[in-house]
Amino acid sequence: MKVKQIFLALLFVCAFMTTAIQASSQEHQAVPATATAEEGSVKHAYQPKSLSQLAVSFWETTGLRAIFDTDDGEMAIDPSGKSKPMSAFESSLGRIIMILIVFILFYLAIAKGFEPLLLIPIAFGGLLANIPLAHMTGPHGMLGVIYNMGIANEFFPLLIFMGVGAMTDFGPLLANPKTALLGGAAQFGIFGSLVGAVALGFDLQSASAISIIGGADGPTSIFIANRLAPEMLGAIAVAAYSYMALVPVIQPPIMKLLTTEEERKIQMGIQRKVHSREKLIFPIVVLMLSILILPESTPLIGAFAFGNFAKESGVVDRLSDTMQNALINTVTIFLGLGVGSKLAADKFLVIESLGIMIIGLLAFSAGTAMGVIMAKIMNKFSKEPINPLIGAAGVSAVPMAARVVSKVGSDAKPGNILLMHAMGPNVAGVIGSAVAAGVLLSIFK
Amino acid sequence: MEVNVIGEALKFMVLGMGVVFIFLYVMILSVKIQAYVIGKYFPDKVPASTPSPATAASENAEEKARVAAVIAAVTEFRKNKS
Repeated sequence: MKVKQIFLALLFVCAFMTTAIQASSQEHQAVPATATAEEGSVKHAYQPKSLSQLAVSFWETTGLRAIFDTDDGEMAIDPSGKSKPMSAFESSLGRIIMILIVFILFYLAIAKGFEPLLLIPIAFGGLLANIPLAHMTGPHGMLGVIYNMGIANEFFPLLIFMGVGAMTDFGPLLANPKTALLGGAAQFGIFGSLVGAVALGFDLQSASAISIIGGADGPTSIFIANRLAPEMLGAIAVAAYSYMALVPVIQPPIMKLLTTEEERKIQMGIQRKVHSREKLIFPIVVLMLSILILPESTPLIGAFAFGNFAKESGVVDRLSDTMQNALINTVTIFLGLGVGSKLAADKFLVIESLGIMIIGLLAFSAGTAMGVIMAKIMNKFSKEPINPLIGAAGVSAVPMAARVVSKVGSDAKPGNILLMHAMGPNVAGVIGSAVAAGVLLSIFK
Repeated sequence: MEVNVIGEALKFMVLGMGVVFIFLYVMILSVKIQAYVIGKYFPDKVPASTPSPATAASENAEEKARVAAVIAAVTEFRKNKS
């Protein structure tokens, strides 16, 4: 009896040892780099260094040297893993300029309150991207990982669209559907600046990618830039988001220039009450239309319609709540940092960026102007008065543009509340710029 | 072959603005049809839903009356007992 037990125990020990040896030999195969080390223990080679050698090697890893020693041959790595040597300007003065730009963005966000939710993550991403030697934008750096995770594959813009859909109330648009045309007119910003960009010497495809800034829609801009001109994504996204942040500065002068004092004082009637079923069916209607007319735009409109349908269905409040709060906030953090990674000196400080910023500004202004002009025309022919200011909300920066309209309206005449009237063109602008994006994609497919 | 890029861009503009306006115009039409159909065949549910808080309030009142009656009965009963 006892012999049998001992025999069994021995058998177990043997079995265990063979598996252990097998495992260790597999380890050796898996890691050929440690093949020189004997018996599985790794020994790192080290040669004694003097104190001065230590000090020199430390100096070589400091940021001070990386910035001020211009011919150190530092490499710039982008998220796809490609690397190129940085020029002396990029690794020294360029970085300092970019860090100063980042501080200006911080100032605008904190002191002036321009879209801090976007500018703070973008600017901080830009700060991190300009750190020397840390390679944060490389494929294994934090910013590079974020970039590959959701910007290079266009995933984050769609998630943002889902959240925007869940936040959007189509009530004002459904109550006064003809204001949707204003959201269409403002898309002139896209196509007008397309002509401008071509005139400046960009090729047609890059010009299309740049002109989408005129849609005043960050996610759409990223989506299109990725498809048409990925090398310009950084500057396009930064331009789109900075101009969205600057809506309260850019729009009012144009609006005041194109309207008279009397026109700004026009009051609009009370909107009719919208049936909840209309709101429920609307996202499906829009999606069906885009399926029939322009399937290229369905990634954007589909995500938007899903978010809105979840909200209006009224039975999945938990999901719609997550989309409009937790999810969109999380994605905004990642999107901001990822876009900010393109503020690295070697990517941003190129002459094209300047062109992109100029065309972006033109696009934005043209969109605003066309929206206002369209609203003036509609006011002439409409039975109910239409305040031309609401045309400016046709650029889709939701809800910033509508708030600006409301503010300019109440400045002209206290108590003139245009917010809900401006929301109609505003949400139509979102749909309009997604459609315009689909048209541009259809041209270059 | 020299491509007149400005001309091409202008063509894009015509196509793009045309499609955007057609899309939004069809959307406006369908919204109007939808509003008409819903208004006609699915009359506003709002009056049907508003009574619910009202009934809740009346139920509340009923409940209060019942509680008052019970209290009154109990005090009466105790008075008789003593």
